[in-house]
Parts: sequence; C-alpha cells; structure tokens
Amino acid sequence: MRGWQLASFALFFGLWELAGRWPVSAAFPPFSAAFLALVEMLRDGSLLKAYLITLQPLALGIVLCAVAGIGFGIGMGLSRSVEWLSLPIFIILQAAPMAAIIPLITYIYGIGLTSKVLAVIMLAAPVIVMNSYKGIRNTPPSLLQMCRSFQGTRRQEVMKIVLPHAAGLIFTGLRLGLAMGFIGIVIAELLITPTGIGDLITYNSSVADYPKMFAAIASIVALAAIALYLLERLERRWFP
Amino acid sequence: MFRILAVAAAAALLSGAATAQNKIKYALGDVVGIDDLPLLVAAERSKKRGVEVEITPFKNEDIATQAVINGQADIGQGTPYAAIEKVNVPIRFFVQLWSLQFFPVVANEHYKSWKDLDGQEIAVQGRGSGTEAIMLLMAKQHGIKYKNVSYVPGSQVRALALIKGNIRASILDATNKNFLMREAPGKFTILPLGEIKASDESLFARLEYLQKNQAAVQVFVEELVRVNREINKNPMSIVEERKKLGLLKDLPAKLEEELPTYFKEGVAGGIFPNDGGAENAAKTDLEFFALSGSIKKENPKVDDYWHLAPLKAALSRLK
Repeated sequence: MRGWQLASFALFFGLWELAGRWPVSAAFPPFSAAFLALVEMLRDGSLLKAYLITLQPLALGIVLCAVAGIGFGIGMGLSRSVEWLSLPIFIILQAAPMAAIIPLITYIYGIGLTSKVLAVIMLAAPVIVMNSYKGIRNTPPSLLQMCRSFQGTRRQEVMKIVLPHAAGLIFTGLRLGLAMGFIGIVIAELLITPTGIGDLITYNSSVADYPKMFAAIASIVALAAIALYLLERLERRWFP
Repeated sequence: MFRILAVAAAAALLSGAATAQNKIKYALGDVVGIDDLPLLVAAERSKKRGVEVEITPFKNEDIATQAVINGQADIGQGTPYAAIEKVNVPIRFFVQLWSLQFFPVVANEHYKSWKDLDGQEIAVQGRGSGTEAIMLLMAKQHGIKYKNVSYVPGSQVRALALIKGNIRASILDATNKNFLMREAPGKFTILPLGEIKASDESLFARLEYLQKNQAAVQVFVEELVRVNREINKNPMSIVEERKKLGLLKDLPAKLEEELPTYFKEGVAGGIFPNDGGAENAAKTDLEFFALSGSIKKENPKVDDYWHLAPLKAALSRLK
C-alpha cells in the first residue's frame, strides 16, 4: 500500500475519532471504541459466526448468478429473440428500488435461506446479465467480418472471437455483481430476518451497543471493499 | 409607537417560545395502528389543553430510541431498557401505556402443548425482545429447551409465516392472533401463559427534558391515564371517541371490526393501567427485563430507569 493511501485511511479514521469524541451524536462512537468492539467480536467468535451465516446465501446467489446470469447475457447477445424476451425484465430489475421489493419476497418464499439467496440474485443478476450482453454485442464488426471472410463457422465465430472479446466485460460484470450481492445480502438480513451480520447490526442497535453496531457495519464494508479490490487486481492481470 | 411595536414583538417572541415549549415531539417506533388509539385520543385532548403532541412514526423502535437519545425527539415509546443502561445520556421511563399481551401460538399439526416444543424451533420478534423473554420464561417454567430461536420482526409477518407453514411455533400480539384464528380456523392452538405484567409500551424521555418540561409532560400524562381509565370502565368508549375525533379515518373495514374485540380483550387481560403503571410497573419491568437479558446491572433500582415525578403530579390532579 502506498504512502498516500495510508495517509488517506489515517485521515478518515482520525476524523471519525474526532467526530466520536466531539460527539456529533450520543449514538456515534469514536473510531477507537468501534475498533476495540471489533477486536472483542473477533475474539469471542461472534463476528466469524455471523459471517459464516451471511456468506452462505451470498455465495449461493453469486454462483447461481454467475452460471445463469452469464448464460442469459450471452444468449441475449447472440440471439435477437432471447434479447427481445429478456432485456426489458433486466432493465426493470436494474431500475427497481430493491429495498422496497425485497420484503415482498417473504410473501412467496417465506423467511428462510431461499428469500435471502433471491435478494442477492435480484441485485446481482441485472449487472451480470447486462455486462455479459453488452460484452457480446460490443464485439468489433471488423473482427466478425474477418472471421467470415476466412469462412469461419458460426461456432468458430462465437468461440474464437465473440466470447474471448467479451470475457473482460463479463468479468467486470461478475465483480460489480458481487458488489451488488453484498448490498443485497445486507438489505435481506436487515429487512427479512436478522441473521448473520444483519443480526449483529440489528441486535447491537436495539441494545444501544453502538461501538459494536458500527464495528459490524464497518466490517462488512471492509470485507466487500477488499473482495472487490482483489477481483479488480485479478481482472487487470487476466484482461490487461 | 416604536415602544408599542417593540413590546408587541417581544410578546410575539415570548408566545412563540411558549408554543415551542408546549410542543412534544413524539417518536413512535411503528406505523400507527389500532393499539395506538388511546395515544391518539390523549394527544388530541392534550392539544386542546395547549400541549401539542406531534407524533412521528419511525420504521422501528431502535430508530425511535436513537431519535430520543440524539435529542431529535422528546418522547419515545417502547421498552429500550438495554439502551437506557448503555447509553451515556440519562434516559428515564415515566408512564406505562400498556403491559404485555402476547399469545404463544403453535400449529396443531405438529404441537399441542409446551412440552411438545422441547427440542423444537420457535420464532420471536427479535434478540432480547419481550417476546423472546416470554418464550424463554415459559421454557424455564415447563422444563423444556428450544432447538433454535429464529428472529422474525413483525407479528404480522410471523402470522403469515405460520399460515404458510414456514414457521410452526411463534408468539403474536392480540391483533395478529385474532387474524390468524380467523384466517385459519382450527389449525392453531394458543398455549397457556401465566400472568406477565411487564411493560409492552412505556414512554421514555431524556431526564433533562422531563425536568425542564414537567408542566407539558404532566398534561399529556394526565390525558393518557384518563383515556386508560375510560377504556377500563367501558372498552367501547375508545371506539366512540375515535368516531367523535375522526381518528384513523382510513382504517380498513376488517380492522375496524376488530376494534371492540381488541379493547375488550385488553381490558379483560388488565393491560391498561389506571395509574400509568407507577412504581409497581417499574419494579415488574426490572424483574422481567433482567430475566430477558436487557438489563444487565446487578440489583437495578427504579430510580435508575424511571422518573415518576410527572406521573405522581398527574395522578394527584386526577384524583
């Protein structure tokens, strides 16, 4: 990590500490209190236990989105009829206010794991599908013409030109989908039933243990940021 | 002329200040429902006596409590004992609106009694909630242990989950218990519950606010106690008062039909205190919420959680 990046973190946490000590609100703890609470939750195992619960629907949702979403996106990019049938659904899903829709899932799918996986899918799928679709559609026509002029088959055109060209954008879709998945799982755990990290946030808020509440929130933000950063580095290496 | 204008301006400023002092910002941790009718009636009557109660519904009790802690609201409703214990701003309860009235419900297909719940999964409102405390208390009394306690916020959500079969045992409030029994007759059993008189909804505020605004708070408390006494005398009085004052006009017909039953059941269960709960409610709460784990302090004292001066003053005027 570079010096200026460290300085940026130091400035942020310093301001947080000052704001907590001032305090901006009786419910806003200083950074040091939240950090100590985080250490306590790591030591007593409650944070790890919470993440084991939270990451389950997140991983399931992302894997399902990766398989079905990319498949759908490629299908939409290659076939006009699949595009005609599916594109409006994903555009609507992308624009819909999910925080208002997610609680409605419980009416159909109840309050268990299925609802939470579905919440992750509803947020992650549109990004993954749309990126895959655009990746396919943005294949340069000159490359396709070249393939045809060399009498390449449709299969060769897709496997050797379209898919390799779209891979970068598909991977970006996966990375952004994971970011949306993190949002989806936290919303689901806060709005459907408080489990995992959502339970830590809800419970500590209800008993006014604000340092622990902020520590739980900061931990999920940090985990999401680290996961996305690592994926971005991987993306740069694979698709420079 | 200038002097007259200056006096008029000062008077206007003073009257403005008086109005501001007589306005109570009330944080309600839920949407306004039929159980809030006594509160709405008391607020209307307080307004006629010069104390305006501005009710703002929040998404949940935690946010409403935070609003009181941060000083954005004057009075909150609920039982945030754990918050009061932890937060470094002195918050005190000052009147009980009504005590707990919950109904443990099980699906007949799977269970018939408390003993059947041994090693089974149940669903309650939330971790450290009153509903969890009741279920844990009952488990202790019946010598059973649950396999798992799930947290499902909202009695209505739990009632729907019971109907759909997503959960088999839970605990509901009166409105949703009635809804469940009406929607799925014969499919559920209400398990017997001993008498639990702890607060379901009490009012709390910053101690500093209560001390500085005792006159306004006293008027409001007087009206709250008066409404409860009227309901206990005649449960239908609140239904008539609702019509007279034009409250909850958009109440769906189904819920409107439930109004008399809700208040009759409440009166029969003795949930509306005639004396605002007073010291008895405070002591019962300390015992109950210590058991639920909300109160961690050893030998908790009433004065650490309750400020009874406005209630005592109101009761002396109501006698």
